[in-house]
Amino acid sequence: MSRVSVPCHVKGTVALQVGDVRTSHGRPGVLVIDVTFPNVAPFELQEITFKNYYTAFLSIRVRQHTSMHTPAKWVTCLRDYCLMPDPHSEEGAQEYVSLFKHQSPSMTFPKWLSHPVPCEQPVPLLEGLPDPSRVSSEVQQMWALTEMIRASHTSTRIGRFDVDGCYDLNLLSYT
Amino acid sequence: MLQEESDISLIIAQIVQKLKGSNLYAQLERQAWASLQRPEIKLESLKEDIKEFFKISGLFPLPSHPAAPPEHLKEPLVYMRKAQGSWEKRILKSLNSMCTELSIPLARKRPAGDQKELLNKWNEMGTDEPDLSLFRPVYAPKDFLEVLINLRNPNYENGDSLSFRTHLGLIQVPLKVKDIPELKECFAELGLNTGQLGIDDSTQVPPELFENEHVRIGQKVLAEQDSAAAQQYIRQGSPTALRAELWALILNISSQPEDILYYEQLKTNVIQHDLLVDSLIYKDVKLTASNDDYYFVFEDYLYQVLLCFSRDTSVLSHFAYNSASPPKSYIRGKLGLEEYAVFYPPNGKILSINFFLSVAPLCFLYHEPSKLYQIFREMYVRFFFRLHSISSHPSGIVSLCLLFETLLQTYLPQLFYHLREIGAQPLRISFKWMVRAFSGYLATDQLLLLWDRILGYNSLEILAVLAAAVFAFRAVNLMEVTSLAAAEAVLADLSTLKVMPLLQIFLFATVT
Repeated sequence: MSRVSVPCHVKGTVALQVGDVRTSHGRPGVLVIDVTFPNVAPFELQEITFKNYYTAFLSIRVRQHTSMHTPAKWVTCLRDYCLMPDPHSEEGAQEYVSLFKHQSPSMTFPKWLSHPVPCEQPVPLLEGLPDPSRVSSEVQQMWALTEMIRASHTSTRIGRFDVDGCYDLNLLSYT
Repeated sequence: MLQEESDISLIIAQIVQKLKGSNLYAQLERQAWASLQRPEIKLESLKEDIKEFFKISGLFPLPSHPAAPPEHLKEPLVYMRKAQGSWEKRILKSLNSMCTELSIPLARKRPAGDQKELLNKWNEMGTDEPDLSLFRPVYAPKDFLEVLINLRNPNYENGDSLSFRTHLGLIQVPLKVKDIPELKECFAELGLNTGQLGIDDSTQVPPELFENEHVRIGQKVLAEQDSAAAQQYIRQGSPTALRAELWALILNISSQPEDILYYEQLKTNVIQHDLLVDSLIYKDVKLTASNDDYYFVFEDYLYQVLLCFSRDTSVLSHFAYNSASPPKSYIRGKLGLEEYAVFYPPNGKILSINFFLSVAPLCFLYHEPSKLYQIFREMYVRFFFRLHSISSHPSGIVSLCLLFETLLQTYLPQLFYHLREIGAQPLRISFKWMVRAFSGYLATDQLLLLWDRILGYNSLEILAVLAAAVFAFRAVNLMEVTSLAAAEAVLADLSTLKVMPLLQIFLFATVT
């Protein structure tokens, strides 16, 4: 199954503040970003990828429709996931982050997933012997990797810096 | 396979590809085969166990995110990348204006007669006396320091006026630096209860207590050609007789015939093409190295190594993880045509003044030019490049400056405050030490003991710690000075300092 990115609409950030926005001077520490999926058929969400910009902790909530008759419910998928170990320093401040489905502790998945997959159970070992299908898939992967390595040529750089023997230069380029 | 897994697998495949054929690869393969025989290794969970180990041990940086573009790998913070780009542009402009003023091309083919002459004089270039008065260095460390001082994170509010939030030192960016408890953990082997070369090999200490055994272990490590063990061993310092081999083992340098051939090829490149930067290198070495008490004997070696270094295109690969980028140019008459685009100099690195100080100490260890060259090149692409580019890396010069200032401010607050008050910001004095890894300031044997620890801990942070330790050592005198010039005078001569006792006292024996 190939991965496809789902078109989504990311709304602007809204600050969560107690009190009147106009009169209070403090800078709010919590911002909310709404993400909607307009006009999309039900899909199975595997991964959320984004680039951080000075967010220290992230929580993700999804709104779940259980059936036609009960109202939609908000479920927390991720709470206070740490993106910056020290919010006052640069660590993690501008990193690329991926969050995977299996990181969510929630056991039930929103109904907009068409084929919800239950949490993977560890494959039971048959009396000390490794699971044959698992071993064979590992071996296949390793074989594929060795093929990849063999296919790409070992390129030892000969180290030519000139163009056809010519290295006459006037000035450096700024672009 | 999950996408995450296949990305990791691809990176592992690339690493294996790069290691192939090297001595390290053979070592790893042997170890892997030996380990597989052990009963506690379970084949079916081997992959997961190793991945788990990587995560927990923190030894290996996690592979970068697949969505991260190449520039993110060079430097993740956008404002630092921009600052590095502006700094580079200044250097390019400076070099271009020198070319225009002097009407000398950046590079040209050397006439046949000159080529012959240079080849004959290759081992004694120091005897030459060309007129270099019109050449000036492209940049000096203090220009670079000004750029670092002006670095600002656009997302960080410190306010324009001095408040409790502004940093009291010169560096104003909020990078994470270690404090003394963290440094003690990191540099545990420098502790009071561990034997050190540089302390426990002094004449008053009987060699049976530590030195003899340490030498014996070093010989064993070399006999087994164990690179990882050598790196661990050298944290306690290297015996003089074993140092050259140990450094080569840690840096994975083994002089194969192809390495010697490669060096000869570089030499041919130097002879064939005359570069403007050659004159700058020549002037720098001539003016400074030839007058230096320790390094003047190596003048000829320095020309050879630095000229060859400029021609070495294999250095270009380090720009994948260096925030800097190599300068570009076009073959004369082919401006804008991509197939005639080249890097200048071929190795992409325009040297700052006194760059030779990074090479000179190695001349004490290696006398064969191609080996000396290989060791220097590896030291550069592993460590020293970080002293010349703007980045957020913990061993980058910005972090080292901030670490130095923070250590001084936290553990010697009176001294720090006093120096600030008299207009002698400590970093203005210590910057030149750190940017040269103390070469040219310490006595040679002390410098080599310090560089042992750089290799052992795979980090340059020890430079900042030593800088702070030097200030701590001379604190009493510094408290009495009343000007920057006087402070400089107190710290002008470091040639009598013993680095290991200073480091040990500062980290492990100061009341915090």
